[in-house]
Amino acid sequence: MTRATERKQGFMRSLDPAVLTAFGCIVLLLVLGSFYSRSFLSPEYLLQQLKVASFLGIIATGMMLVVLLGQIDLSVPWTVATGAMMACAAAAYGPLGTTLAIPFGILCGIGIGLFNGVGVAYLRIPSMIVTLATNAVAQGVMVVYTGGFSPQDSATAAMRYLATGALIPGIPNVVFIWALIGAAMVFLLRRTGFGRAVYGIGNRERAAYLSGINTRRIVMTAFAASGGLSAFGGVLLAGYASKAAQSMGDAYLLPAIAAVVLGGTSILGGRGSYLGTVAGVILITLLQSILSVTQMPEAGRQIIYGVVIILMLLLYGRAPASR
Amino acid sequence: MENGGPLFRMEGISKRYGGVRALENAGLSVRAGAIHAVLGENGAGKSTLIKIMAGVVAADEGQMTLDAQPVKFASPAAANAAGIACVFQELSLIPELSVADNIVISNPPTRFGMIDRKAQRRIAEEALARAGAADIHPLALVKDLPLSRKQIVEIAKALARKPRILILDEATSALTAADVSKVFAVLKRLRAEGLALVYISHRMNEIAELADDCTVFRNGSKVASYAAGTRSDAEVIEMMIGREYHSVYPPKPGRLAQIAPVLETRNLSWADRLHDISFSLRSGEIVGLGGLDGQGQRDLLLALFGVLRGLRGTVLVDGSPISIGSPAQARRHGIGMALIPEDRKTEGLMQPMTVRDNLSLASLDRLTRGGIIDRAKEESAINQMMTLLAIKAGNIDAPVGALSGGNQQKVVIAKWLMRQPRIILLNDPTRGIDVGTKQEIYLLLRRLADEGAAILFYSTDYAELIGCCDRVLVLYDGTVKRELAGAEITERALIASALNIPSAEPTQREPAQ
Repeated sequence: MTRATERKQGFMRSLDPAVLTAFGCIVLLLVLGSFYSRSFLSPEYLLQQLKVASFLGIIATGMMLVVLLGQIDLSVPWTVATGAMMACAAAAYGPLGTTLAIPFGILCGIGIGLFNGVGVAYLRIPSMIVTLATNAVAQGVMVVYTGGFSPQDSATAAMRYLATGALIPGIPNVVFIWALIGAAMVFLLRRTGFGRAVYGIGNRERAAYLSGINTRRIVMTAFAASGGLSAFGGVLLAGYASKAAQSMGDAYLLPAIAAVVLGGTSILGGRGSYLGTVAGVILITLLQSILSVTQMPEAGRQIIYGVVIILMLLLYGRAPASR
Repeated sequence: MENGGPLFRMEGISKRYGGVRALENAGLSVRAGAIHAVLGENGAGKSTLIKIMAGVVAADEGQMTLDAQPVKFASPAAANAAGIACVFQELSLIPELSVADNIVISNPPTRFGMIDRKAQRRIAEEALARAGAADIHPLALVKDLPLSRKQIVEIAKALARKPRILILDEATSALTAADVSKVFAVLKRLRAEGLALVYISHRMNEIAELADDCTVFRNGSKVASYAAGTRSDAEVIEMMIGREYHSVYPPKPGRLAQIAPVLETRNLSWADRLHDISFSLRSGEIVGLGGLDGQGQRDLLLALFGVLRGLRGTVLVDGSPISIGSPAQARRHGIGMALIPEDRKTEGLMQPMTVRDNLSLASLDRLTRGGIIDRAKEESAINQMMTLLAIKAGNIDAPVGALSGGNQQKVVIAKWLMRQPRIILLNDPTRGIDVGTKQEIYLLLRRLADEGAAILFYSTDYAELIGCCDRVLVLYDGTVKRELAGAEITERALIASALNIPSAEPTQREPAQ
């Protein structure tokens, strides 16, 4: 490799081609949408999309952390639902419950994540298996708790304010929350020892371990963070809809993984930037929005949604096989 | 039949892995009905050359001709189809399948789209007989066979493809003496049948017995090709090592003071790989680990570094027994151990990550305050290391994989020196790097020792052990067979004890059974 390309790579590090492709796709979708209707470029519509994207963005943040390690978290659907239901349930227990509703919901998610993390890091169960199993367990527990019906408890005022209010006029709180979580994630990944270790483990777990990094603790922490963020996403969704619902998290698993991967994070771990995940989240949200306004039956929308994700993944330049 | 003319020829072959040069303008020419031995040190490029020949990796440059026709292999299957089969040193058998399944795995005989079990068994029996192992039952599971039998099945598997050129890469290193002589008989018969054989081995006596032609490689280039028997062993070794090796070592200090050891082991054992290893390591001393490759040297280093579970015996640091459960504990302040691992690519570095990230990875606990990286501190520590080791990197924010092999190795060493370790374990640190960098590493090791570090140094290169070490522990079958000190460290003594042959000098220990 020549000096020039080295320099270029140093400069291009923050401008990963995958991130550029994702932003390119966003522009393309908006242009295509604007042919369909002028309102696709209106600030109201864009802000509304950003608000919808924030819920996915918070959940995808946790997913990205896990994917960077070369793992995956398939327990998202029922971690989201558990967070929402437990927060609403806590609200039924008087003023103290109302105050602690949000932290309690998040804590339940962290608990699920810790369970995943222990399974992956200490028991060495493949994350695909353990998180899928945890998802089933969480589902079972929630069905037992609610009796299989939509829970009667409703979201607290604080949850509703976070999800639907606007502290600064014009900017929904949830967008603000996503921005804060995103900034914290960028700081975590770039400026802390934890972030370095995450990239290190994702690239070569063995080398990271031999460098004296406590790889198991880091993997466990990342899963716990992913669980907590999923549950927080659920808490906010419950606040948005005023109550929790049985399968409210189901619509977030594929979009969360797709957003992370479309944003250029390697599914094998070790490579990716948060900016890419932001782009991936917005891209997925816009795609869903545009598909939902077309007069197409649900089945057709699902097919196009899946096919577009596959096509976009093909757009990304894959590294040539190392032979 | 064109007798005499080369059957297969490689010319001007070059191959780089990242910034590491594995082969540079290398060539090889093999003829039918002859055994061609390829010699060279570890990392000389033999394995890469073989992989290119067998279609496992693609060359960056160069041509290959088969029967004077230019050929290119896109995959191992393409090389197979052209008549090149390879027996690799790593076993490629699937343990859960039967011997017959394994032998025909790439191209099973079919009837109506299903595997024809009868034909499969017939092919397997034929191939096993040809490999001189008709006693292996084709329906036995591979996992139930001992290692040496597996290796024979591997050879049979290659023969079942009816190759014209058969490559054996260290194919006898796992075999017992009885099996080796059987394999030799098979190889000689195959030669008589007109096959071209390419044979890679570190055992000089095997080469003397088998080879018709020899080619020597060094640092990725061909040094010479000659008819077997026309060069003396000494000349061959000189070609393999290269002359420049003799003067590159820093002078050793004379006798070291008998101070208390920093690191000591007593009867260290692990599984069936390490047996009763006792030795001590003093500050200021470079102790070498010698012996044939794979006699437990790597396991010993990993055991000391806390990687292996279920160790028996005692490890003492500064005279008090301790138990080290992980590399994180081994690097702690009171112990201060560092391990420079064997394989840069998988154990030492994260290739796609930057030089900066790699350098600070082992010292994150020291470079952070409250979990946040202290950038100024990191920068100064990195600069210090870049200067100390003279690491040539255009940009520390470029991926470490873009550096040359020698500079990558320096990064691996530097990332540990950043912690100022007291005990430094090195696992073959000069493998596959250029002579100039090797020399810098030797000088560095001596300087670290002079500054008070205790160094345990495994090398597959005898010249290095002779040139660098104050003492050498020779391992054989997981136990310290002999300890050589000072002027006792000679090539002859090293090789004799490595092969566990009683030489003129008395051995210190009886062979443990």
